[in-house]
Amino acid sequence: MNPIISLQNVYKNYGTKAVLKGINLTIYPGQVIGYIGPNGAGKSTTVKILCGLISDYEGDVIIDGINLKEDPIAVKAKIGYVPELAELYDVLTPAEFLGFMAELYNMPKELAKDRIIKMLAAFGLDGNMHQRMDTFSKGMRQKVLIISGLLHNPEIIILDEPLSGLDANSVIIVKELISKLAKEGKTIFYCSHMMDVVEKVSDRIVLINEGTVIADGSFSELQQQQGNQSLEQIFAHMTAKESLSDAADQLMHAFGNQNPS
Amino acid sequence: MNAINTFFLKILLLPSGLYRRMGVDIRHLKAILTAKLMMDDRRPNPIQQARRNKSNKPVTAATLGMIFFTTIMGCVFLVSFAVGKDYITRLTIYFSFYIFVLASTLITDFTSVLIDIRDNMIILPKPINDKTFLLARLLHIMIHVSKMVLPLSIPAMIYMGIKEGIQGLFPFMLLILAATLFTIFLINALYVFILKVTTPEKFKNIISYFQIFFAIFFYGGYQLVPRLISKAALENYSVTTSMWACLTPPYWFAGSWNFLRYLDVSFPLPVYFLLSMALPVVSIWVVIKYFAPSFNQKLSLISGSDGDGAPVKANSKGIISTTSAYITQLSKWLTNEGAERMAFLHTWKITGRSRDFKMKVYPSLGYLVVYIVIMFFNTKNKVSIDDIRDQVHGGKFIFIGLIYFSSFILVMALRQITYSDKYKAAWIYYITPVKTPGELIMGAVKAAIVKFYFPMVAITSVIAIGIVGPKVIPNLLLGMSNQLLITTVVAYLSIRDLPFSTQQSNASKGGTFIKGLFSMLIPMIIAVGHYFLYTNLPVIILFLVLSAIACWLLMDAIKTKSWDKITVGNYE
Repeated sequence: MNPIISLQNVYKNYGTKAVLKGINLTIYPGQVIGYIGPNGAGKSTTVKILCGLISDYEGDVIIDGINLKEDPIAVKAKIGYVPELAELYDVLTPAEFLGFMAELYNMPKELAKDRIIKMLAAFGLDGNMHQRMDTFSKGMRQKVLIISGLLHNPEIIILDEPLSGLDANSVIIVKELISKLAKEGKTIFYCSHMMDVVEKVSDRIVLINEGTVIADGSFSELQQQQGNQSLEQIFAHMTAKESLSDAADQLMHAFGNQNPS
Repeated sequence: MNAINTFFLKILLLPSGLYRRMGVDIRHLKAILTAKLMMDDRRPNPIQQARRNKSNKPVTAATLGMIFFTTIMGCVFLVSFAVGKDYITRLTIYFSFYIFVLASTLITDFTSVLIDIRDNMIILPKPINDKTFLLARLLHIMIHVSKMVLPLSIPAMIYMGIKEGIQGLFPFMLLILAATLFTIFLINALYVFILKVTTPEKFKNIISYFQIFFAIFFYGGYQLVPRLISKAALENYSVTTSMWACLTPPYWFAGSWNFLRYLDVSFPLPVYFLLSMALPVVSIWVVIKYFAPSFNQKLSLISGSDGDGAPVKANSKGIISTTSAYITQLSKWLTNEGAERMAFLHTWKITGRSRDFKMKVYPSLGYLVVYIVIMFFNTKNKVSIDDIRDQVHGGKFIFIGLIYFSSFILVMALRQITYSDKYKAAWIYYITPVKTPGELIMGAVKAAIVKFYFPMVAITSVIAIGIVGPKVIPNLLLGMSNQLLITTVVAYLSIRDLPFSTQQSNASKGGTFIKGLFSMLIPMIIAVGHYFLYTNLPVIILFLVLSAIACWLLMDAIKTKSWDKITVGNYE
């Protein structure tokens, strides 16, 4: 099987600061990749490169056989991206915003309209279809963003902290959606800080720290290497410079001598 | 979308065939422009923003509102045709106005409307080619500028058409176009310059200082110029008498009009024509060649919201904030420990750092300064320095006026102190065990006094004692004490919210106007009283003591305001 995403020796600097120091990754269709790492590790830079937002990187990024540098448009058409912050034009209504997205993906009008209505209804937003999003809660905006990433039925879906602001029921829907999409052969690139979710949804976990991949494998493989721990513990073990319980101790010591009650 | 936007969109999409040959995807182009225009239409313009309440219905047809407002502005410009004895003077003034107003309006639009940082996250990951995106952005700017330019220049065009006929109108239209292109270039150049000398983080601050400056400059010009120059002088004024004028672009535009209208080929006119035609061409070339490539990239740094830049490391750059030791010391002298001191320092910092606060207060400060200057020019019988020195006639009036007018500054600042766009952060007051919220208000009031009253007092004292001598001191002291009294009365009566705890848009609830009127009325009554007692020294001293005591009592009353007198912010 041909890899759908392949990064070879990807480097990226901001000025003198190296953010990515040679990332190598080969991802096959139908995988759910949990992409994790501490703040500043280079997660969002990788995502931005994959989405074609950053083009001045070194190394090769091949997506579905197409070099990202040679034909970014063809690559972008295969990717659905759900950004982390609720970045959307909130004076538009979901119908208008999603219609706009569909146009940019060159979707036939009727198909787009039909899909938008069905997807909004699935998330329980059919009643809000024609309301401006500036009155929406964080969770509602996130739902619209998720729809905007799935609308054109992309081969690759990049999710950056997609559960933020969603209520428990919607979280279940999205988690289930992820596994169903993967079964259909879609590739999912899932970035998150929520280790328990990553542990459950991903087939393969890629841990990066300071611009390099420091662990790569399924959760059980990581457990074999690192001992039978939760992903949270493995993450802390591999990325924290000092002991985290020391930090908690220091916080407690800050109260001074009197025992905190 | 309204008819105007649809019209612009139709017009600009006419050369679709050409665009397609350039490699632009028409479908994407149309989609982006439609979405952008739709958003423009829902973005409140400054007037609507001021009027809008939270409960109000969402903004629609912002475009129509803007066009209406701009047309009125365009009519105001017609004033320049009443000035001067020849067209070259009138048109120089007209074009100066035009360029100035257009530039000051567009300067903010460029960051807030035309270059939307969200585009980076929303549009760029989509399969759309660079040319389409660039053209969409360009056309959007063109539509936006046209919506400004047309209403702004149509009144003058109608005037031209009636007065000078077709031969006058067409050259004028051509020159308006040239002036518009030149203005866009000016703004670009300014942006690039600011971005060169400063960091993107400070960029927005600098732009807002520009706005404050423009606002004051306009107001000052509007108030002062007609007073300084008599009507007869205006009508006979000719710009041709000033040597420097021929170095400025508005003069070139005006000269070109004469050239085109009368086909006057006498020496400098053809040169001006060449200059005005070359200027936009060169401007556009410079923009495309030097500015455009790095421009978008740099602008995208302005937002700072997307973590495009390297993450800020601890102990590296970034703004390191320290409160100067002198303010901390001052707070120890002026305030009691605890909530009051905390509120004092907090208010001091916020008023110094919040762009929102500065944008609201500083322009009104500027207006007041203009007012004070006008008072000097406006007194009917001219006041001489001698009059002021001897405290007779208008001299007394000016002195009183100066003192009490400057109290408006403090009152104005005070009225803004409860507002903030980060009003939700006021939860800190409610979760902490603050017994008397009055202390918080008092601390904030004191900070405002130190910041906006002390400097004014220092300046007035120096001027007054310098000109009049020591005999002015009792009156000066009474004036100062009364200013404080006014402030504390206004603070006591009108401040019902904690510092920086409410949204400005809630301000328009009933009674604010009355309160505003009231807070103007108190100083006026006191000032009139002071004016009549001016020469009666024992009475002045008596009132000074009374005023000081009243001040003291009021401050105490503010300090002990309890929670039930405070409006607790609502968090939806």
